[in-house]
Amino acid sequence: MSAVSSLVPARFLTIIAHLVIVISIFWSRENNVKACLPLDYSQEQYDEQDGKLVVGLAVTLGLFGVELAGFFSGVSMFNCTQGLLSIGAHASASVALLFFLFEQWECDIYWWILSICSVLPAFVEIVLFIAVFGLKKKPL
Amino acid sequence: MAFYEVYAHPALIRYKTSVCTKATLFLLVMLCLTYIPPLLVAYRSQGFWIKRGTYEEQPVVRFQYQTLLVAATSTAGDYVAWSTYPYFNNMLGSNLQIPAVSVREEDLNQDGKMDLLVLQLQLPLKPEQQVFGVQLLLTFNYQLFRMSTVVMQSMAYLQYSSPVPGAKLFVSGDLRLQQRTPLPHRGLYNAYNVSVIDGTSPFASAYDLDSIVRSYQKRNLTTVLSCPMPVWTVGQAAGSPFELNAEIRYPVELISYRPGFWETIKFAWIQYVSVLLIFIWVFERVQRFVFQNHVLTTIPVGPVGKAHLS
Repeated sequence: MSAVSSLVPARFLTIIAHLVIVISIFWSRENNVKACLPLDYSQEQYDEQDGKLVVGLAVTLGLFGVELAGFFSGVSMFNCTQGLLSIGAHASASVALLFFLFEQWECDIYWWILSICSVLPAFVEIVLFIAVFGLKKKPL
Repeated sequence: MAFYEVYAHPALIRYKTSVCTKATLFLLVMLCLTYIPPLLVAYRSQGFWIKRGTYEEQPVVRFQYQTLLVAATSTAGDYVAWSTYPYFNNMLGSNLQIPAVSVREEDLNQDGKMDLLVLQLQLPLKPEQQVFGVQLLLTFNYQLFRMSTVVMQSMAYLQYSSPVPGAKLFVSGDLRLQQRTPLPHRGLYNAYNVSVIDGTSPFASAYDLDSIVRSYQKRNLTTVLSCPMPVWTVGQAAGSPFELNAEIRYPVELISYRPGFWETIKFAWIQYVSVLLIFIWVFERVQRFVFQNHVLTTIPVGPVGKAHLS
């Protein structure tokens, strides 16, 4: 299908954009952690919130690994549905994380963005992995 | 020889599908992403619902010709007083000293609304009396018409005192409106159409300046005399009266009001639609790409009416 020649680079670019923003948040997460703490906070509270955010970001990177493995190995590269879903989810995540970073939103919102925009494409990727390697279907 | 385009019109291709397909799900996601983010963008960038508006109007002010004057004649607490309220004058006894008062209101630009009040007061003094301080209270009838109709009775309180006795006080100022809450955008607002001093009361408490100012300041809409430069001239000649000259202007006021339903909706709609147009254009291009290139399976019905299966 002719559409695939446009979908594949679009999917790659949105995944990489999302990855870049997640790495930027990882390096400058101080302001976001302070936004979820009360005005006078103790060092333990700071470390606890910081730890939670680091766990969230690490989980995101892990899910990226799953999805990129499926994409580069060809399991889902030419699957139109997964392509469309992945583009939509990662584009929404990029916009939402941009606001998360610049407007210094609270930490709880990050879990929502993670679950909708990272878990969903990775889950479909795993389903496709099982379908191709487990049930021996063609990868298209 | 056909070398220029004389007319063109679009031919429509309809993409049909049944209800439980990926294409329907895609359409629902597109609709959500088209119509909800503009609302969020317009709301989160502040100012979506306007809460306060302003307008300019020159009020219709008429002096009510009711005044109360108290002049301090020594540093020990002696005073003389006068007012246009008979009960108050009766209670003063020997402290009553009646000044000669001349008042006129002028309409400088001939628009039917008074612009200036000129008051000239001459208080005759006994040979041993000197004036150290003056308290003057003037009452006005104040009306606004453009948005809600406001009818109220308000006052201007003027006070000046000095350690040196004076011959003349000159005050030139504006009668300014003070609002604590915004006015409504329509209707009659006459909650304060009660007189500032109750002239029918025979009790001294009704003329006590403390209680008059206290109950006046409880109002949400008041007027105040704004006079930054009172001029106190010293050097009283023996036997000549104390002069008080006042010029009070009624300027154009900037009044804040709470906008009504339709004005609020109009501005909210303008903000929403201007962002919505961008989102509609973007997602229209996305949908055209997806359906034209058969990324999702649908049945296109072409312009000549034939169904082509992909």
